[in-house]
Formats: sequence, C-alpha cells, structure tokens
Amino acid sequence: MSEQKKVTRREFVRDFAVITGGAAVGAGLSKEALAEVQVVKEIAKCGMVVHDPDLCRGCKICEVACSAYHDGACSSYLSRIHVAANDLDLVFSGLVCSQCDSPSCYFACPKKDQALCIDKETGARYINQDECGGCGKCAAACPLPEAPIWFKTVKGKEVAFKCDLCRGRAAGPICVELCPRKALRFEERRG
Amino acid sequence: MANMNGWAGKILRVDLTNGRVRTEDTARYVPKYIGGKGIATRIAWEELKPGVKAYDPENPLMFMTGPFAGTLAPTSGRGIVCAVSPRAYPLEWFTYSGTGGLWAPELKYAGFDGVVIKGNSEKPVYLWIHDGKAEIRDAEKLWGLGAFSTQTRIKAEQGDQTQVLCIGPAGENRVVYATIQHRLSNASGNAGFGAVMGAKKLKAIAIRGTGGVKVADPDEFISACTEVADLIKAGPTWAVIGTPPGPDTVSCTHACPVQCCTMMRKDDPTKLEVGSGTRNMMKHCVDPMYSWGWERTEYPTKYIKEQYTGDIFTRPTKAFGEEIGSELQVIGEGLGMSGWNYVNNYCWISACVDNGITELNGHKLEPDNPEFWRDLLYKIAYRKGIGDILADSLVRACERLDLPDILKKHAHWQEPMWGFASHRLGRAAESQPSPIWIYTMCHWITDSRDPLQSHHQSSWAEYWFPPHHGAGSPDTEFSKVKATFARAFGTGEVIEPGFGHIKEKTRAAAYLGNRANLKDSLLVCDWCFPRLLSGFMSKEELKAARDYYGDLDAETKMFVPLTGLNMSTADLVKAGERVRNLDRALHVRNYNRNREMDSTAEWIFEYPEKSDGSKLDSAMFNKIVDNFYEARGWDKKTGWPTRAKLEALDLGDVADELASIGRLA
Ligand code: SF4
Ligand code: SF4
Repeated sequence: MSEQKKVTRREFVRDFAVITGGAAVGAGLSKEALAEVQVVKEIAKCGMVVHDPDLCRGCKICEVACSAYHDGACSSYLSRIHVAANDLDLVFSGLVCSQCDSPSCYFACPKKDQALCIDKETGARYINQDECGGCGKCAAACPLPEAPIWFKTVKGKEVAFKCDLCRGRAAGPICVELCPRKALRFEERRG
Repeated sequence: MANMNGWAGKILRVDLTNGRVRTEDTARYVPKYIGGKGIATRIAWEELKPGVKAYDPENPLMFMTGPFAGTLAPTSGRGIVCAVSPRAYPLEWFTYSGTGGLWAPELKYAGFDGVVIKGNSEKPVYLWIHDGKAEIRDAEKLWGLGAFSTQTRIKAEQGDQTQVLCIGPAGENRVVYATIQHRLSNASGNAGFGAVMGAKKLKAIAIRGTGGVKVADPDEFISACTEVADLIKAGPTWAVIGTPPGPDTVSCTHACPVQCCTMMRKDDPTKLEVGSGTRNMMKHCVDPMYSWGWERTEYPTKYIKEQYTGDIFTRPTKAFGEEIGSELQVIGEGLGMSGWNYVNNYCWISACVDNGITELNGHKLEPDNPEFWRDLLYKIAYRKGIGDILADSLVRACERLDLPDILKKHAHWQEPMWGFASHRLGRAAESQPSPIWIYTMCHWITDSRDPLQSHHQSSWAEYWFPPHHGAGSPDTEFSKVKATFARAFGTGEVIEPGFGHIKEKTRAAAYLGNRANLKDSLLVCDWCFPRLLSGFMSKEELKAARDYYGDLDAETKMFVPLTGLNMSTADLVKAGERVRNLDRALHVRNYNRNREMDSTAEWIFEYPEKSDGSKLDSAMFNKIVDNFYEARGWDKKTGWPTRAKLEALDLGDVADELASIGRLA
C-alpha cells in the first residue's frame, strides 16, 4: 500500500466546495480558489467503471478489450484498466479511473481542456494524446493511493493515458460489456 | 517490435552452456507453421538430432506461444512446451505439453513468440526476460525452493506483474513426471519437462513485458472474439446443461470467458458461492485428483478375470475429500509434480496390496491412508527410498523391482503406451464408449503421448454417451447428434457406436488430429475448441435447436482480422495437417517410428471398453490402422508418410530427407 497522499489546501478547498455545493463561497477564499469553485460547478458529473474484486477471477478480458479498442493492440500494459491477478493469494484488485466529481488531474493539467479534457456528452475526464506533453502533473495530483493514469511513448513523444469511458463508443464501456463475470459495472453519478 | 500483426515477431534463443542469448525472426516460420507446436516441431525437425536424450544439453526446451496469445481471442492464455521427454517410454522422445495461465501473453508483450533453450548450465540459474531482452541470472538462492515460494521470491525481486514459470524439488531431482509450475495451479504436467529444466539447472523463467499484440483490424477482431465468446459461453460442451456448477475457480487462462464448471452459470455468476474450493481446483483438468478420486466407474472384474487373478481394477481411486485432497494437491504442486501420478500410483500400489505385496523395499504400502501419500510425495520428489524408484514412472520402476509378472502387467495398464497415463482409453481410467475410443485409439497409436492435448475435442462427441464423466443430457436427441456430425463430416454415421463406417470414422479422426495440431499452434483451449458443438444456456434453447452444430470457422474468424492474412479455414486446417505430418516425419527419422511400433498398442484394445464392453480383435485393429493411414496419406505397410502427402503439404524438403535415409514411402 502506498502512502496516503497529503491533501493540499487547494484540493481541500475544492472538495469542500463541491460537498457543500458552493456554501463555502465567501469563507475567505482567494480569488483563484473562488474561480476554481465556479469551474467545478460547471463540470458535468460523470459515471465511472466500478470493479468488484469478489466477482473478478482475473481473466484480463477487460484489459485486452480496452487496449484493442483504444490502441489496436492487445496489451495489459496499454489498458486503461488494470487487474492485478494475484492468484497465489486469490486477490484480484482492479484499478481504473474514478472520474472524480472534482477531477484533480484536470485542474493540475497545464493544458486543461486541450490535453486533459471533459467530454461534453458523457462527462468523461479524458486525455487528448495530441496535446498531452506527458508532464505527469495529472498523475501526481490524483488523490487515489495509486493513480490510474499511465504513460507510454507515441510517435517518440511521452503521453499519459487513462480511462475515457470509451468515448464515442455507442454501447458504452467495452470492459463492462465483455467482462464474463459481471465484475465490472458502470455506475451513473449524474446530477 | 517487429512489424507483425498477431505475432510478436521474434523468437528468443538461449544457450545455457555458454550463456549466449540471441533472437531470430518469427517470420521464418509463419504463417506456414502458425505458431506454438508448429514452430517448435519445425525447429526440432531442423535441429534435433536422432539419439538426443531428455537430459542432454542438445535437447531444445521450447516455450511457445501462438498468434492468439495475449489477445482478446477467448482462452488466449494457452502456451505449449515441447522437448524430448524423460517420461516417454521405451524411448525418450520429442513430445509436447500445454499450459494455461498468463505467461504466454506476458512473453508476447515482452516481444517474443517463443523461447528455445539449449545447453545445460553448471550452476542454478533463472532466465529473466523483459521487453526484448533476456538475461541469465544466478538462482543459487532459489534452488531447493518449492514452486510457490520460487514465484513469490522472483516477484519480490522483479515486480508483482512478473509472470513466472518454475520447477520445484521434483524437477530439480528429475522426477520423470515433474511439472513446470505457473501461478497457483497452472502446469505443464505429464511430459515431465520440469525434469528437463532440472537437468538444465534452470530453476525458473521470469517474464515481464510492456508491449502489445498488434491487431490488423481491431473492430472486426473485437466483434469476432465477442461472437466466439458467446459461442463457447456454455462451457466446454453444451451437453452438461443441468450439472451443478463446480467450485468457483480462478480463470485458468488469460481471456477465458468460460471458466469451465463455474461459468456454466453465466446467466448469473453472482449467484456463485465465491471463494469455495478454489485451492483444490484451478480447473477441471488441472485436477482435483486426490479430492475426487478417479474414476467413478470401476473396471468390471468380469472383463479381466480370465487374465488375472487377484483383485485388480476393481476400485476407483480413493477420494480423500476436499480438505485432505486439497492439501495433497497443494503439496504436489509445491513440489512440482503432476496430480496424475496419484491416478497411476494409487491403482498400482493398491494392486500390489491386493496381490499380497504389502511393502516395497521396506516401505509399507497403505494407499488408502492420506499419511502414506503425504510421505510418499516427498519421497518421490526428493528421490528417497522407494520414492527414487517410483520417480521413474511405473513401467521403469517394474524393471528395477523384483515383482510378480501380474504387477508388471498392471504397470503397463497404467502406462499403456509411450509411458503416459492410461488416459482416454476406456479401459484403465475413464470410460470411453465406442465409437469415441476408436477416435482416441487412432491418436494413441500414432502420436507421441496420450490424447490429453487433443482428446477434449472428442468431447465434441463423448458427452453424448452417459455415463462418461457422469454427464450426458437426457434432453439430447440422437437424430440431432447425427445431423450435427453430418454437417461436419458429410455423414452422421461417424458417431454411430460400433465398428461400422470405419473409413468415415478414421477420416474424421484424422481431421480431428489436424484440428488438434492447429489448436496447439494458435493456441486455444482444448476444452473449448474447435467448436463443433454450439452452446445452449437452457433446455428450451436446446430443445428448439435443429441440430447442435457450433462453428468450425470460429478460429478463422478471429485469425483473419488479427493477422490481416486472408486464410480460410481449409488453409488453417491444412497447416494443422502440415504440423501433424512434420511431427510424424520427425518421429520416423529420429525414433524409427513405423507401423510395427504403432501396433505395440494393440493388446489394450482387445480388452473390452469398461462401460459398453466393445473391443476389437486383431483383424479389426488392422482394419482401423489401414484406414487411418489411408486417411492420413501414410503408407499402409510401413506407416511412413508418402512423398505425395508431404509435397501436397509443402514439405518437399522433409520428403527428401526421409528419402535419403530410406524412410519415405
Ligand atoms: S471504460 Fe473503456 S476506457 Fe475505461 S477502462 Fe473500460 S474499456 Fe478502458
Ligand atoms: S474482465 Fe472481469 S473478471 Fe476478467 S479480469 Fe476484468 S474485471 Fe476481472
């Protein structure tokens, strides 16, 4: 287990603002923080893929489906969902982006809305590889113990990649559709 | 990474004697030999000299994957190991043994379609393969460890995502049925390749890769895989509808949407009691031998009375129940030994006791006592006392022990052909009513080992016949069965019991063999492919069906969009036939395989099949062999391949070489 990340003041303010639905406004926030609260309110909430470790049996179909769909190559490494199938201990843990209501990765990205973007239709927080410079600020800002954001080299350039809820796929997330154990589900979180 | 779709593009070559590592292009072998067993057999044909024994440095130990490995193709975690086997009897010869798990995908992601290991190291080493590179590393500290701790230690060193193949003490001490273990229960089992690793002083192979398998047409590939996954959803065969799901299990192979017994309740997997029984049963075929006992029907005494005195073959192996059974299973797996040794040793040791031999070399025989097994497993793995003798397999043990003939004969029942367990004979182990055993007989007599690798395809037929495996569905209609086989083979007669239509049956058997070789080259699970039968999720669906035909083009549908190669099913099956013929040629050249040798198996089929009593006499045996050779395009007199056949399969060079040693018909 990696060390719990310290919540920075900025993150705290942001999360707090979200939880209280803007009631914190006026509580002595800086101009900058106030602007951010406004932004969070405008970001569509978004569903997420949820992995159930009790049902999962480590077949890794989700991984190869995800990478086949996005990269035209099957690979655990390129997948945007990772299942650690430790069958010696019978532990199957899934790691996939939670599409946070208040996406730290998005705020951390120096090219917000160009590299780390919010999908207008689904609200998915996604990375546009053409614009991504691979600086890693998104992954560093991720509040999860292990960031479900990875890096690869595309055309000689380092880029980040993460779950985009299969943007543009009419049937929705392919991992959810193909998991034979029904260990993955798409959880709506709109509102 | 090489610019190929499906294949990784490189084969890793390692020489443990001089520590050299190099690579060669996969393109040298594909698509002609597809991958897996096909590539390994071609390498053996080119490089394996006659006379090389299992523990010789010249024995090439090959870990092969195929184009499907690591992809979305259902069950694409299969890999295959090929080498000269120490278990094969009377001659140590080239054979194969498959495994599931995650190592084959990882090897592809690391950039390799296979690894060929020659030479023997002086000191214990392990092979560390990562992203296009390979290093031979010191394994002094790992030598002596069990299969589970070896994996744990290597993962601690190289990272959790590392996939490890390794041997336990049994492999180190060259037990001829030592396994190569992987994860909890995946293993390359019966061929004894763990002992070959032991002789090479190769403790483990650790693999980590971060690349991917390129797909020519991703959209088409994804939809083909989805279609095929749906086809196999009901499990290995459809006829098991109505059987309760087995204990929940781990996916034994990458990208397996079936998970055998478990997933037969695919309509609602959440209803399963998750976590039950996982330790004793990775999968049906990596077996819960000790827990279940084996097999459930006894071989009726009436069949053997005239030949034998004493109580032989009248008891099924003792089922020790889940708790003790799991424990014994895990001990065996940790030591790195095949669970099949229980099936063989139990029956034979029981026969010893039944015939008044209650101790062997001072070791008391108590086959029904779990304590006896706890002890014996260690003795075998460490070659202590009687374990040293049993570690060489029963037929060889009998050469060293001074025993009555009846027990020697019995050992041959247990290991009837080529030193392998009496699997799918319908005589010693499981039942196999006619015509199913005619199919497996064609395999047994001409191949290099038991039909383990391929027999499950005959489950495209055998589940029709209760009480095999206790399965069989009362809702199946034989007319529909025949209609299914008619669609596949032109006549439904191939599934009629008895000895009619031998020509058609042997032709179907040859086709089955070609499909088996294709399957072992692509590779996919032999419980699920090829898909002659469809999957049905309910009795209503089953009843409504016109016939039970599945889709024999399933592999092709995935192969084409994956590789971008426009090959038809006929092309692929022909590649399977090529591999089969190349393997035959190798055995003809290296081991003087011929009709005479094939016929040494005749005696066992003259005993009745245990559930329906069907048996053959010498005339029928020879009729089947004649017909089978003809279906294969081999010479009836010698059993050698013919030039015409080899040339039709683009194996002209192979024909020339056989001709040069005077073994071509
Ligand atoms: S939703 Fe799509 S992008 Fe996200 S992990 Fe699943 S398959 Fe990959
Ligand atoms: S597809 Fe489902 S069962 Fe398989 S690894 Fe992914 S989450 Fe687990």
